[in-house]
This record gives sequence, C-alpha cells and structure tokens, in this order.
Amino acid sequence: MLLELSEEHKEHLAFLPQVDSAVVAEFGRIAVEFLRRGTNPKIYEGAARKLNVSSDTVQHGVEGLTYLLTESSKLMISELDFQDSVFVLGFSEELNKLLLQLYLDNRKEIRTILSELAPSLPSYHNLEWRLDVQLASRSLRQQIKPAVTIKLHLNQNGDHNTRVLQTDPATLLHLVQQLEQALEEMKTNHCRRVVRNIKTTKK
Amino acid sequence: MELSESVQKGFQMLADRGSFDSNAFTLLLRAAFQSLLDAQADEAVLDHPDLKHIDPVVLKHCHAAAATYILEAGKHRADKSTLSTYLEDCKFDRERIELFCTEYQNNKNSLEILLGSIGRSLPHITDVSWRLEYQIKTNQLHKMHRPAYLVTLSIQNTDSPSYPEISFSCSMEQLQDLVGKLKDASKSLERATQL
Repeated sequence: MLLELSEEHKEHLAFLPQVDSAVVAEFGRIAVEFLRRGTNPKIYEGAARKLNVSSDTVQHGVEGLTYLLTESSKLMISELDFQDSVFVLGFSEELNKLLLQLYLDNRKEIRTILSELAPSLPSYHNLEWRLDVQLASRSLRQQIKPAVTIKLHLNQNGDHNTRVLQTDPATLLHLVQQLEQALEEMKTNHCRRVVRNIKTTKK
Repeated sequence: MELSESVQKGFQMLADRGSFDSNAFTLLLRAAFQSLLDAQADEAVLDHPDLKHIDPVVLKHCHAAAATYILEAGKHRADKSTLSTYLEDCKFDRERIELFCTEYQNNKNSLEILLGSIGRSLPHITDVSWRLEYQIKTNQLHKMHRPAYLVTLSIQNTDSPSYPEISFSCSMEQLQDLVGKLKDASKSLERATQL
C-alpha cells in the first residue's frame, strides 16, 4: 500500500534535499521528540538561524517529516511500500535510505504513542485485596460476617485513580468463575478462526 | 440492655390480664413482630376487631414498648433466660413469658438478618459482566490486531445510587493478573474458614 502525498506535503519535504544528511537525521530526531513531548517552536528558530533560512521553512520540513513518519507507522506499511512512496519525491539514494532507516527505527515507538490517542476507557492497572470479618455493628452484636475488601487501581488518560470496593465470599467465587470463562473464550475455535482470518487479510 | 421506663410501663400494661386478655395479648405481640419484619406492614396492623375494645393510646404504647424491646433483644442477641428475667420483672405470668419467647424464637432469624443489614458499608460488588473484542484499527492506528476485554462490575452502594457500575478495559495479560489475584483472595478465604 502506497502513501499518498499531497502537493503541499511534497513542497514541505522538498526542503530536505537542500541540507545535508546530518541535518535530516537531526530533523528526524526532533520530529520524534515532538511526538513524545509536544512541539517547541524555539527549536525551529535556532535551526533556521544556523541554516540561514526562514523558520517557517524549517517548521514545514520537520512537520512534513513528522507526517511522513506517523502516516507510515499508522498504516504499518512495508519497507518496499515506503521506498516506493518516497521514490516519487525524487530524492537521492542516500536520502531515501536515511528516511527508510528513520521509519524503521522509530515505527514501534510512534505506534505506541498513536495508540494512546484512541478513545479509551479506564484501564486496569492493579488490584489489592484484604480479608475482613465484621464482628459487630451498632445495630447487631456478635456477628461473623466475612468480606473481601478490594482496592482497584485504574488508569485513564494518564490519571491514576483507585476505587475501594467490597464483596462477599460467594460473589468472589462467582467473579473468579465468570472471568476465567472470559479468558477461556480466547482459546476457543471461533476466536482462533477470527484472529487467523483477520491476520491473513493483507492489503 | 438499656430500656426506658416507658418500655417497662408498656410491658406492665401488657402483663395485666384485665387490660389484655389472651387473644389480645397474642395479637399485639404478633403485630409488633409484623411491623418490624414485614416489609409491607402498614399502620393498620393494630386495626384488628379483637383489639378495638382497648384504648388506642394504651395499644400504641404497648406496641411501641414491645417493638423497642424486640429490637434491643435482637441487637444484643438475648437468650431465653435474659428475656424471661426482664419479663418477670414486668410482672408477666409464666404463660405469657412462654408465649413471648416462642414468638421471639420463631422470628429470631429474620430479626437478625434485618439488623445485620442496617449500616454503612463500602460499595459492594454484586456482579460482573465482560466483553471480548478484537481490536483491528482506530483512526490513528491501523492493523492493531489484539484482543481486549471490557469488564463491568455491578456495584450496590448503600449511600448513593450513583455509580451503579465500574467499567474498565484490560488486555489478556492484565485480566490474567486480575483473575490470579482474585483467586489468591479466595484461596486465603478457604484457608481461613478451615482454621
């Protein structure tokens, strides 16, 4: 599957052959850093002064590179497809190799960053438990009421929050049984077939 | 057990065969238990024709006294001898003491369940439901190919009806971790019950 690059995108990337490969590599590093931490316009100005061009040009170059890397990572295109997509830009052999290396080196991390952008529910982080026995209350003395107290740790959008909950022994056994069934489901023929068929659908 | 003068007075009235004949006594006693334990009991519980001849103020006083005493006895898990001693002090004759104790014994379990259910507690998990999905792509990321679980815990909250459920997603490994920890808890529970 080939990447479709718009005219504007190609224009922005046209800056890259005009600088030497060390600079392109540096742009690549900046692009990934921006994906990790967010953009920092001051960097553009510093680079613009050193290269003697406008900071807009530098910005477009870096953004073009960023977009190239994220789109390729998102679609998980093969090496061959990446090379073919970049070929239309008419860059030198050396530059093409450099871009390919940038893609392959950073693909995994970029995909991890992109996965954090998906709509998400709180996700499981950890579970702590404690066994308690209630012995008495204001309304009834001499009790023996076992309970399991649970602290559920969840993550959502980087926030860590905890819920303290309780359950009784019977429900605890029920929970274990239900969730074990859930785990078993993944091993059934039906699920295996679906997974196999989706994986083999290549584009 | 701390009981007020009012309770004692009510019982003394109840002990008097002149005010309460056998039938009326039994009816009032049953009415007291019914008001406490029957969720659908209404105010008409004292409206029985065989109680009509008794002054309504006296009826209410005795009913309240009996109900109060029953609750206190239930709370402290009073045994037959404790009950007998108190009722004797209120001038109950042998027959009425026996009647009371029998009626109390019959209703003891329901009473204890009722009392045990009163009180604040942490949000209580009542059920779990799960959904298994296979994630293929998002608009930011294609070709994901991984299974994910969505787990929902049903919660019963004594305080507020808010948050009737907690939902969260987890991967297969995370669900295995969760189930492992819950199994540890239940094994611990088993061992504790065998001590």
